[in-house]
Amino acid sequence: MKSTKFSELSQEQVDRKWWEIGDFFRRNSLWMLMYCTGCCAIELPPAMTSAYDMERLGMGPMATPRQADILLVSGYLSLKTLRRLIYTYEQMSEPKYVVGLGSCTINGGIYHDSHAVINQLDQYVPVDVYVAGCMPNTEAVMNGFVDLMDAIKHKTANGWKKYRDNYDWYRQNQIASLGEVEVHDEFHE
Amino acid sequence: MMNSTNNALEVITLVESKYNVVKTEHISKYQVAFEVIREDIHSMLNFLKNSGWKQLSYLSAIDWPEEDKMELVYIVFNWDKGVHIQIRSKIDRENPEMDSILPIFPGCKYYEREAHEFFGIVFHGNPDSMKQLILEGWDDIPPLRKDFDPRAYSEAHFPQREYTETFIELNQQESKQEKRAARQAHIDEVRKGGKK
Repeated sequence: MKSTKFSELSQEQVDRKWWEIGDFFRRNSLWMLMYCTGCCAIELPPAMTSAYDMERLGMGPMATPRQADILLVSGYLSLKTLRRLIYTYEQMSEPKYVVGLGSCTINGGIYHDSHAVINQLDQYVPVDVYVAGCMPNTEAVMNGFVDLMDAIKHKTANGWKKYRDNYDWYRQNQIASLGEVEVHDEFHE
Repeated sequence: MMNSTNNALEVITLVESKYNVVKTEHISKYQVAFEVIREDIHSMLNFLKNSGWKQLSYLSAIDWPEEDKMELVYIVFNWDKGVHIQIRSKIDRENPEMDSILPIFPGCKYYEREAHEFFGIVFHGNPDSMKQLILEGWDDIPPLRKDFDPRAYSEAHFPQREYTETFIELNQQESKQEKRAARQAHIDEVRKGGKK
């Protein structure tokens, strides 16, 4: 009886195989850190409870940034919130994905001319999936998560790599809009 | 059961007998508004606090650029009578200054900080009034003044998404009205079986 012939794989190919296996498990157990700052957060209870039951996709809420895979930004972000969001995003362990809900994260939505609300989230942190709508309905939200799983499968959810490679560019944008990213207030000092 | 209408009227007679009120408004049976000169505000709030208006519900300001005035609004509430009293007073707009009411209502501390941040009013006697509260590192004129342009600020500070393609072109669509009319005529003809 002959043993099966294996062709020799390079280290790079082996790494890629392992990474694909990792991606399979990762996309079937996505844990979300929900940064519910905006009104789109109201779409999450039906998505999580028995009506649409997010858990059948392997998704669930997570309490701390270090254990979460997805940072879910639901809606508008004020300057003050953006500082905390950047803190949170940088605390998450890689690979990490960002999902932006609602038109506010895309182009400012109805807050496009506000002095306190930013207009484009992907200038400050990389966004992997946008779900458009004001607010998007629950099917759209669920569809966005399935899109993210597909993107992970096809290795196109590379936001965290982009953030690492273009850190200076993101930092520059953050400083241009925020002045200073570090939080200085009476509760932190 | 006490009658709230009488309560509001009682307040009006009580205050008008004691202070020189510029304008009195009986807004509803639970709300009364007085416009007074700024020198009267402290003694009036003190008097009202001793008469049962123990809660400072709100303190804010209104900007009147046409009159070149800033209007301070104090709202106090009486839990026994259920009557809100607004006390308003106009101050200078260019250098808005006011003495803090911290000795009378200690709860005004954060309202005064907020008013300083959003309208630029300086409250003398409140040690924290210049500290930032809501806006962090603000670098422009106070944002709730009427001469502040939020759109210009937003465009200057936050990148705007640029669209290279127009996604909605309703105006350039060809009209479907004629096709629709022809289809309807055909349906009618078939329905009648070719008869007129």
